[in-house]
Amino acid sequence: MPCIVSGKPLRRILVALVLLLSCFSPAASQLHAAPSVTLVKEESGEIDLSAAKALFDRHSACFVDARSEYAYYNSHIKGAWSLSESRFAEQFPEFRNKKPIETLIVVYCIGPGCSKARHVADKLKKNGYRNVRVFSGGLIEWSHAGFPIEG
Amino acid sequence: MKLFRIGFPPALITALRLLLGALFMMSGGEKLLDLKYFALVIAEYQILPSLLIPAVALFVSLCELLCGTMLLLDLFSRISSSIMLCMMAIFIASITNNLMRGLEHDCGCMEFLSQWYGLKEEIGIGPIVRDILFVILLLPVALLGSNRIPWKKNPT
Repeated sequence: MPCIVSGKPLRRILVALVLLLSCFSPAASQLHAAPSVTLVKEESGEIDLSAAKALFDRHSACFVDARSEYAYYNSHIKGAWSLSESRFAEQFPEFRNKKPIETLIVVYCIGPGCSKARHVADKLKKNGYRNVRVFSGGLIEWSHAGFPIEG
Repeated sequence: MKLFRIGFPPALITALRLLLGALFMMSGGEKLLDLKYFALVIAEYQILPSLLIPAVALFVSLCELLCGTMLLLDLFSRISSSIMLCMMAIFIASITNNLMRGLEHDCGCMEFLSQWYGLKEEIGIGPIVRDILFVILLLPVALLGSNRIPWKKNPT
């Protein structure tokens, strides 16, 4: 370290300060990085596997399968409703009659690459449901974790 | 027609009849075993009104099963293969229509074939080409097959 050798204490203190600050900055620190990702996810209405399972265990949310009806018929999260993106208009009236507007709804499709859950969540919001979350991990993550499925 | 007949000897017509009969019989039987699934696939085509879908699912499955059985037994082969020709034309038109609309869903065609080969049977060029092949194979049976009526004696 040339600064130590040259004996410039001010520069040494400045370098130490920069290093110290960088350790606690949100961009570099893992402690800060995790909450910011969660915050972004919460803002976009996305929940992860553990949050979805917690809601499932508490029976505090209605799970909605956004895939096609035949895919839902083959397998789905236990107790989930089918509201397919393609036939939303046909299926929604029955759902609306059974589920009050304030119900917490968790929408999912097959996995992270699938956009159907996001589209169905948007349609639900347009129809008055405000408490809508998207479980982006979908059925793949759910079934890989060994959580209950039926169909 | 005579040249056409020479190109398709009776043995070849019989082979085609048996092959197609077995395929359609299996396809129809499979659909009848899980009619609800087939009805849901038809619903995904978004062509028919919801009220008609269960009836159409039953009709298509029964048609395939009956026509397949009749082709196998060589009863009304020409009528059976003509009915299947019409159905193939409808299938090709439906799949093409949905492809043009950009829809993606299961074909609902021959699920057992896709299970054997491990292929996911979605609408696309594959099912269209296969249905065209079925049309080509059905044509000789429809034109040259027998139209034997079991309760009527053949004129000798």
